[in-house]
Amino acid sequence: MPKTETYTLSMGPQHPSTHGVLQVLLDLDGENILRATPVMGYLHRGIEKLLESRTYIQGVPYTDRLDYVSSMNNNLGYCRAVEELAQIEVPERAEYIRVIVAELNRIASHMVFIGSLANDLGAVTGMIYAFRDREKILDLFDLVCGARMTFHYIRVGGVSADLPPEFAAKCDEFLKIVPEFMQEYEDVLTGNEILQHRLKGTSVMTKEQALSRNMTGPNIRAVGIHFDIRKVDGYGAYPKFEFDVPVGENGDNWDRYKVRYLEIFESAKIIRQALDGLPEGDVMAKFPKVLRPPKGEVFSRTEGTRGELGFYIVSDGSTKPYRVHIRRPSFINLQGLDDMCRGMLIGDSVAAFSAIDPLMGEVDC
Amino acid sequence: MFGEGLLTGMGVTWKHFWGKKETFCYPEEKLPMTERFRGGHLVLDHQKCIACSLCSLACPNQAIKLKIVPDAKKKRHMQSYVHLIGRCLYCNLCVEACNPRALSWDKNYAISSWHPEDMDDELVTEEGRAYFEMMMAKAKEEAEVEAKAKAETETAGGGDA
Repeated sequence: MPKTETYTLSMGPQHPSTHGVLQVLLDLDGENILRATPVMGYLHRGIEKLLESRTYIQGVPYTDRLDYVSSMNNNLGYCRAVEELAQIEVPERAEYIRVIVAELNRIASHMVFIGSLANDLGAVTGMIYAFRDREKILDLFDLVCGARMTFHYIRVGGVSADLPPEFAAKCDEFLKIVPEFMQEYEDVLTGNEILQHRLKGTSVMTKEQALSRNMTGPNIRAVGIHFDIRKVDGYGAYPKFEFDVPVGENGDNWDRYKVRYLEIFESAKIIRQALDGLPEGDVMAKFPKVLRPPKGEVFSRTEGTRGELGFYIVSDGSTKPYRVHIRRPSFINLQGLDDMCRGMLIGDSVAAFSAIDPLMGEVDC
Repeated sequence: MFGEGLLTGMGVTWKHFWGKKETFCYPEEKLPMTERFRGGHLVLDHQKCIACSLCSLACPNQAIKLKIVPDAKKKRHMQSYVHLIGRCLYCNLCVEACNPRALSWDKNYAISSWHPEDMDDELVTEEGRAYFEMMMAKAKEEAEVEAKAKAETETAGGGDA
């Protein structure tokens, strides 16, 4: 009788498919995964601590560096928390602009997801298509705020500047080509049999598992749970727009892909409505330059691209926050990796990371 | 039919193979930067600057080191303005904090350097330094003239009494 034993394989932290510096310890029985343990902290910068030594307004650019693929949503989350703490009323036009840029960023981020998923599964062509179209959104952001990443556009009290005059036409142009390039993704990726074989039926999660791991965002919608904070809380200008929340059925990687794929259409729908109904007015609320929120604490949550993005801020009445804690969706979603990998093959673990879509900047904070 | 999706995908690739190119030859061709683009080095308009140091106070990461000296008439002047590029977040808070609009970006994004010490960028140029020296000398001269005039009136006043 040959003697068999399990062994541990360290995947990462320098691995092209772990989206940054994530290390995963895979306990293997042959090629079957018995347990996957994510090891985090390689990209820790102490952003929560850094925010304690900056004023509320100076803290906003640091939130850009959390989930750097969808910075607008981080800016929005932090600014909403500070506004709630300091009781600042945001002008309606600013709320609409925030929705437009946040949803554009959601589309850009889902494109990175589609591109990196395709790349990790060996379809490099698919990645190039997604990144080509993301470029158009980055050009729009460059026009709006002068940066292609780390936008620092949404500020406490509104947005840093009004939309430039040529933005509406260019955004309209982009929205018109959304169905066009989505059809291309459909042809290149969704219809591709190899991709389907790699994703369908792999890393299946039940509703109970996903809930017990506290997953949020597209990952929980993929298992069939209707949970979108834009609908549940209805913050900002979101209740004024009509959109659906796509949900999956089986909770496998295919559903995680499809949910995000369909969300791009819904985001485009929201942007269209917001552009058409954009009210006139100020884009910045009036409040003292030296912001001293009253003593107290606040937990504010928004629907980030990867799930529930929460900011917990304690104020001691001074110009700087006493404590900031960030509930990062990527970090918490990653806890589901073990459930998703068990019983799968090593190759499927790559599909599982990609389908969770964690961003190490946010995981390690 | 198995493989139909693969063929459809290859059809898209084939179409793009003959289509318009999405890329351009970067170092030869350069894209113009947008009006709001923030990047490259900071540029200080020494004639507009009032040396209020609001930019340095607005910086979240202490990336701006200033040396401000008062002239003979107690007016503040910028002697040295060092932008520590390695610490800069490119958040634009300094440019927005500047009331006389003396700060701006030069939009030259190719700023990589070989040595860390090259990342400390002095914004007060030769011209700015000459302006600074000229303003200091002018203030000193004016102060001397004023002091002389004051002394004269005082002695004249003293003579009357």
